[in-house]
Amino acid sequence: MKSKYWKLLAVFLSIGIVAAACGSDDGGGSSTTTAAQTTTTAEATTTTEVEVVQSGSLLDTVQSRGTLNCGVSGSAVAFSETQADGSITGFDADYCRAVAAAMTGSADNVSFTALTASERFTAVQTGDVDVLMRNTTWTQSRDSSVGMDFGPTTYFDGQQLMARVGDGFSADSTVADLDGAVVCTNIGTTTEKNIAEAAEMAGAEITLLGFETSDEVYETFINGGCDITTTDGSALVGRKVRMQPDDQEWVIFPATPISKEPLGPTYGQNDSAFADAVNWTVYATIIADEYGITSANVDDHVGDEGEVGRLLGGDGELQTGMGLAADAFYQVIKQVGNYSEIYNRNLNPVGLVREGSANAGWLDGGLIYSPPAR
Amino acid sequence: MSEFTGLGADLGMSTGTIPAVASPQTPKLPPREWVRANLFSSPFNSVLTVVSSLIILAITRGLLSFIFNPQRQWDATATNLRLLMTQAYPEEQYLRIWVSVAVILTLTGLSLAVWRAGSAVSIANVGRRLLSFGCTLALFALLAPFSARATIIWLLIAVAVAGGGGTLRRLADSERTISTLALVLIGLSGLVGSLWVVPYGNHTFELHRTPRVIAEPGTVALSTKFPWTIMLLIAVAAYFLGTYLRDRGSLNATRTTLALLWLLMPPVLLYLVLRDPDFDMGHVFGTDIPIFLACAVLGGALLNWLARPSTGEIGRIVAALVLIAAFATFLTPMRMIVRLDLLMLAAFALAAPTFSGGPRARRNYVIGWLGLLGVMSWLVTAVNTPSTIEVPGQFFLGGLSLTLMVAIFTIVISFPLGLALALARTSNMPIFRLLATWFIEFVRGVPMITILIFFSIMVPLFLPPGMHLSEVAAVIIGYSLFSAAYLAENVRGGLQSVTRGQHEAAEAVGMTTSQKTMFIVLPQALRVSIPPLVGHCIGVFKETSLLAIIGLFDVLYIARNVMPNQTEFMGSTKENILFVSLIYWLFCYQMSKASQRLEQRTGLGER
Repeated sequence: MKSKYWKLLAVFLSIGIVAAACGSDDGGGSSTTTAAQTTTTAEATTTTEVEVVQSGSLLDTVQSRGTLNCGVSGSAVAFSETQADGSITGFDADYCRAVAAAMTGSADNVSFTALTASERFTAVQTGDVDVLMRNTTWTQSRDSSVGMDFGPTTYFDGQQLMARVGDGFSADSTVADLDGAVVCTNIGTTTEKNIAEAAEMAGAEITLLGFETSDEVYETFINGGCDITTTDGSALVGRKVRMQPDDQEWVIFPATPISKEPLGPTYGQNDSAFADAVNWTVYATIIADEYGITSANVDDHVGDEGEVGRLLGGDGELQTGMGLAADAFYQVIKQVGNYSEIYNRNLNPVGLVREGSANAGWLDGGLIYSPPAR
Repeated sequence: MSEFTGLGADLGMSTGTIPAVASPQTPKLPPREWVRANLFSSPFNSVLTVVSSLIILAITRGLLSFIFNPQRQWDATATNLRLLMTQAYPEEQYLRIWVSVAVILTLTGLSLAVWRAGSAVSIANVGRRLLSFGCTLALFALLAPFSARATIIWLLIAVAVAGGGGTLRRLADSERTISTLALVLIGLSGLVGSLWVVPYGNHTFELHRTPRVIAEPGTVALSTKFPWTIMLLIAVAAYFLGTYLRDRGSLNATRTTLALLWLLMPPVLLYLVLRDPDFDMGHVFGTDIPIFLACAVLGGALLNWLARPSTGEIGRIVAALVLIAAFATFLTPMRMIVRLDLLMLAAFALAAPTFSGGPRARRNYVIGWLGLLGVMSWLVTAVNTPSTIEVPGQFFLGGLSLTLMVAIFTIVISFPLGLALALARTSNMPIFRLLATWFIEFVRGVPMITILIFFSIMVPLFLPPGMHLSEVAAVIIGYSLFSAAYLAENVRGGLQSVTRGQHEAAEAVGMTTSQKTMFIVLPQALRVSIPPLVGHCIGVFKETSLLAIIGLFDVLYIARNVMPNQTEFMGSTKENILFVSLIYWLFCYQMSKASQRLEQRTGLGER
């Protein structure tokens, strides 16, 4: 009996030793191969990185992939809304489609990703999305330390305030009139910081109430839980048009916003070819608007002389030189429309009009301006 | 009453010895005396009755005047139902959704028949329920802020319901009974039939039209009422098929097959039906099937040899070597499927002596291996195949279907895991006990949001190069581990309620540890832990709303953040939240009812 156990133990021990030897052998062998692999992969990565810098290949990547990955909010009224069938529409979404039309030839080649404010820049850095059209304000820190680059501003927004006329506010009120008021706003955005700064500078004592969603802000405002709401002017106008109850009259002030919020396309830095393609797509919609070329009449202008002809691909050199198809911007105007069309289609329904605003063309006293196409 | 144990108790139940004990008759009081005895028995009781009735009335009135206020934007919910249910799933692929619903309903119908669900209630009792329902409806009609005409219509309906109930109660003799399933069928038929008759309104959304949102009076769209009618018919047909199978076929085989089908259903529906994988046939025939065949033949032969009783100790050594080989494959670059197959083979090889026996036992064991290998190979292939469904966003499902999917997968995965953890924590083996205790205490000490964020952001970084895990899969794994830790503690509570005498008795009759656990301890422990386990499942279902934090669109996130930001439906949060809470309540209430029925069937709380 005893000798049997000893035999068994001996067998197990020898197997154990063999196994351990095999294991360590395997381990040693494979660890060297892994090391070798790591070095090769490291080399491979560096070479690809060099290629990226040299040829600006995000544009090539998008073109060979055939779709543009566009980061949007998915829950921003009129800018990027998720509709009842799950599709995403709005001003920002239309610019995604415009860029897709320029890069791939069809405005339908967009894959939208709905991003929260906190994950948007990470999504660009990890390559999950190629470009952000996510009502993102162009700021110094984002442009420099965050590692983003910004395209031309498509919408000039600014933070304003909204109050009830019945509480003695009018369109001429200023931040100084806020003394003692309760102000409601969304938490976790810069609006909170802006209004606190502005109130302090004007010497007004205010109480800030933060809410997680806009609906909660306006619900509280309607029920008298706060005297003032504050956020970007575009959102205030929309809420006023859609949500003002019959027994209240709301007013938006001051005429000069308390902050500057230039919104536009955002992408990773140091990729000129991609940046140029995005920027000139935006410029193309602006130039087409200046000449009154719309998706309806663009076919009549293809052979035109001058800037319009060059933009729509008559010359060909301008677009092909930057890695796009010669008719790239013709496709943009044809499939998505010019700046006015995009603006009116999405922003008129929430009560925003171009005339007289900062987003009018530069000839009409606005800020929307494009360098010449030549 | 003598202490039945384990199997004995079940046998006693199914032969009906326990229900045969007559319950004592409770005296029946006429309404006036009942009210006096129960509601106004003392001055304090009277005050309590009056005050609480007033509070209930006030709350009901507030809720009704909120729901039926003309300012409410119920159009938002009606138009966005599609978004709430499936988010961006393309409409032209909706047939896939209906097929999935049909499969679920078929399995439900079959199971209801095969497990003889439902019980008999007396018609008089149904009449009494209808009468009280009609009275409540009348009260609601008076409380709600309806127009005079609407009030009269609702009152008429209420009186009709109450009158019908009253007549049933009086006319039907107390012996006549009706099955609860028939009642459910009548209710569902009424609901589906009302889709064809009642003008709920036809709400459509079309992207390429102005205005995009249209609400027309009339019955709901054909694309809603037609499929639901078909679904009801399918469920009924499945039930009758089930009764046929139950009465003709072998009951145990049918039940085993059904249970297996239920287990297979979630991945099959998700990966084969809903996701519509775009199989690369060249790859499937060139790589996947040869690997499967090789593993199946070689592994089958090995297992057949290992399960031979004459193999003896050398079999264990070979099994250990297979395990070492399986771990060794992780050190060299290799297809993941080969590694997984080898790991599974090692597990089967190690367990082979337990299942060793004659040719029949060996054949069953090899068939089990082939079946599991086939399911896993297919699943890995399907998961790795890209989907043809094009949707904006990271995952092709959203809304309620995502909520349900995550909840079902989490519950199904975490149940065996939690059971294993609980057994490990109560076992005599120190390593198992320590590991399980550490795991449970660590997971329970960390907030769920941390685990979700860890699994969605950090885990993909730790994966070996070339291996990709989708965010939803990573989150389901993390959530299952989290849920398993809590589940283990619930089960452990049950395990502790099994007295020492049971263990000792099982050992005295010569049961092995696994037999003791399977047949004596677990049945009693699980029976005791039904209430906390179902409570846990309800919690899992509701906490899926935390998925919104990592950017997945669950039903609550859509209702709270997406729908109120549509141009047409700004400011509709309150209505949406009320609707979503109704959805949550429906599911949770059904789970709770199911738990109560299960408790009754197992006689919990009676003995």
